[in-house]
Amino acid sequence: MWRVLIVEDDPQMREFFAASVARAPELVLVASVGTVAQARAVLDDPGGIVDVLLTDLGLPDGSGLEVIRHARCKHPECEPLVISMFGDEENVLASIEAGALGYIHKDATPDDVAHAILEMKAGASPISPMIARRVLARLKGPVSQESTIGAVAIPGTPHGKGEVIQLSPREQEVLELIARGFSYQEIARLVQISVHTVQTHIKSLYRKLAVNSKSEAVYEATKMGLLQLHG
Amino acid sequence: MAKAVRRVLVSIFLLGAAWAAQASSPVLTLTQAHVQTQIEGVVTEGDVQLPYHWDGLHRGKRGFASFVLGFDLAEVSAEPYGLYISRLGNAYEVRLNGVLMERNGDMSAFNGADFAKAPRFIAFPANSVQTHNVLEIRIRADIGRRAGLTGLMLGPMTEMESLYFNDYHWRVTGSLVVAVVSLLVALVSLALWATQVDSSQSGWARRDPLYFYAGVAELFWTLRVADALVEVPPLPWVTWGTLAVLSAAIWAMGMALFCAQVAGWSGLRPVQWLRHWLVFLLALGIPVAVAALGYGYPAVLTAWYTMGSLTFIAFVAVFIWKALRSGILAHKVMAIVLMLNALLGMRDLVAYRLVSSYGTNTLQRYSSILFGLTLGYIVLMRFKEVSDSAKELMASLAARVAEKERELHSSFQRLETMAREQERTLERTRILRDMHDGVGSHISAAIRQLQSGQTSNDMVLLTLRDSLDQLKLSIDAMNLTPGDITALLANVRYRLGPRFAAMNLELQWAVDVLPTLISLDAAAMRQLQFIVFEALSNVMQHARATVLRMEAAVEPSVDRPGHSDVCVRIADNGCGFDVQSASKRGLATMGERARAIGAQLRVSSQPGATVVELRFPVDAHTEPMAKR
Repeated sequence: MWRVLIVEDDPQMREFFAASVARAPELVLVASVGTVAQARAVLDDPGGIVDVLLTDLGLPDGSGLEVIRHARCKHPECEPLVISMFGDEENVLASIEAGALGYIHKDATPDDVAHAILEMKAGASPISPMIARRVLARLKGPVSQESTIGAVAIPGTPHGKGEVIQLSPREQEVLELIARGFSYQEIARLVQISVHTVQTHIKSLYRKLAVNSKSEAVYEATKMGLLQLHG
Repeated sequence: MAKAVRRVLVSIFLLGAAWAAQASSPVLTLTQAHVQTQIEGVVTEGDVQLPYHWDGLHRGKRGFASFVLGFDLAEVSAEPYGLYISRLGNAYEVRLNGVLMERNGDMSAFNGADFAKAPRFIAFPANSVQTHNVLEIRIRADIGRRAGLTGLMLGPMTEMESLYFNDYHWRVTGSLVVAVVSLLVALVSLALWATQVDSSQSGWARRDPLYFYAGVAELFWTLRVADALVEVPPLPWVTWGTLAVLSAAIWAMGMALFCAQVAGWSGLRPVQWLRHWLVFLLALGIPVAVAALGYGYPAVLTAWYTMGSLTFIAFVAVFIWKALRSGILAHKVMAIVLMLNALLGMRDLVAYRLVSSYGTNTLQRYSSILFGLTLGYIVLMRFKEVSDSAKELMASLAARVAEKERELHSSFQRLETMAREQERTLERTRILRDMHDGVGSHISAAIRQLQSGQTSNDMVLLTLRDSLDQLKLSIDAMNLTPGDITALLANVRYRLGPRFAAMNLELQWAVDVLPTLISLDAAAMRQLQFIVFEALSNVMQHARATVLRMEAAVEPSVDRPGHSDVCVRIADNGCGFDVQSASKRGLATMGERARAIGAQLRVSSQPGATVVELRFPVDAHTEPMAKR
């Protein structure tokens, strides 16, 4: 049973998501609220446990990104999911960097919503070819060292070492195939690994992007004790 | 304190010693001599009063003279005696009581080394001076070389020595100091002349003639004054003597032109006349000097000197008059120094050449040092002035450059703003077109469907879904890398994949890594997206297919042998349609869009096999896709 918090300012959408969650027997709705302040209040409740955060980005009193960061800080085990109208690059990347582990489109069906939440809890995060391409573009290129890792330097990071997105060769291969439009199943077949392993690679990429996003994010993460969590 | 006391004590002791010496043996001044001269084999004899000025007595002749001076001492002092002679030569021998005391120079080599330039001091050995003594002095006398003998002074050695040193310092050490100062000023001036270049001018005007006049004047004055120190000339005497005469002339000429330059008269006509006149005088100096020094016509040289002096005096008079009116301190100082030099020059001219006194010294060499210093000061001031104004110029230049930079920057910013504005306009146009072709047309279609009341809910839903998908694709198109067809196809799949899945339409994906086609810009990418969307939409709506295959690969060109194409193929196993049918408006639009982006569209259809093929020529401008 996963406990879900919904943050969405449009009452109709909020109701739709609440109903979608209620339909799934594996999910319990903790609360569904419409502002950052309300979301904080729920997250700050010492008795409450939140396993899944479902949040819109554009909220009346701030950004959903703040809610995501707050949730990751208060409930490290909580997995945030972003509600996105278009699933466009900018918003999705910003959400991932803030700590989101997936996203749901607003035009999803009720079944899609529950499915996306359960998939994420099972370890599968969605990733679009556009985002895969963006991440690859950030890489300097294939680095064939002994441990063979592709690495992206992130300038201005406060820590001297390891502040780069480091991809294993397999992760990079998976990412390239995603960028070419292949599905997880097709990739699993092509690379001869299980679909689950593909999903693990993607989730690991999410975590790397969240930790190694931008200098201020790293700073914030350090402040929030996130580096210890992932460290 | 102790030092001062000691100095006083030493002074008292020295005074006492001098008094004692004077008391023991008085100084004898010998001016009466018996002389025997030998000129061109003719020997004459007689008594003379010293000093004996050869050039005055034997104008234009060379020869030898032998002076005999007798002197008696009432009492011979135990203290050694010394002899001080202010001037003798050109070469000489001194004998006391038949014993050779000193010899300088070759007695037989006329126009050889000249030892008449410095005073002489001879220390007589103990016991060589007796009660009755005969001093015999022989000289070799060259023409026009100030040969002769001054009066002699005999007395206690220390006293004679100090007299000698006094004379020596004035004539030799003094000349050395003057020469060094002059050389220093000359070098500084010439260095400035050589290095300070006004790059805004060309040719000679690039350099400041002020430095040149000062440098040349002082350089030749160095030569002239240093002559007093040179006993063995490096050149034959007449050449060397002429050079010395010309050096003085060049010095005076340089001075005059320098002063004219300082006063700012260099462009005036009288100064140009003066320059010509001075050049003429200088040229005239060569035959004049040769005549006087080589052939014994000193009057010519005297006349020449007089001409030069008068010229200079006239110039000085004008300069002083102007300087007093100008009120510029440097001019006044210059005027005073000039006047001093002119006066002493006249005095030297009279003493040396007109009166023919022997044993006097020229004084101008000492006044010239003031000249040298003033000149050095003015040169340095000029340099400071120029470098100050250069610094100012640099500063204002830097300010102007900064100003220009600011202007450039702001105009660049304006340009950038304009470019951005234009970009925004283009973007707006693109979005409007997208809305019109995509979302707009779908929504209006949905409205029509609802209004007709004959359409099922599913059909309206499909239209609206299409609309939202189009919207998402047009948002994605903003981030598509131009020319990257692989990314475009992957994105279309990502967006439409869920609908294929919902329809149980099996998607076969065979997209290779394709080269980036730089011929496809952002607008062309959007067109391509429309074509692909239209093709897939047709399959979803009409084909009733179970398998959809997307292929993308580089293939050999069909109509361009040796070249290759990027080929995108969308195939399905649906019911197919009549390609020729005019009712397929969508197909016509696809064809137009393909043509617009330089692609070939081929559609073939039969039941169970419909293929939409797009071919893009791969040309030399294609960038191979970076292998990731």
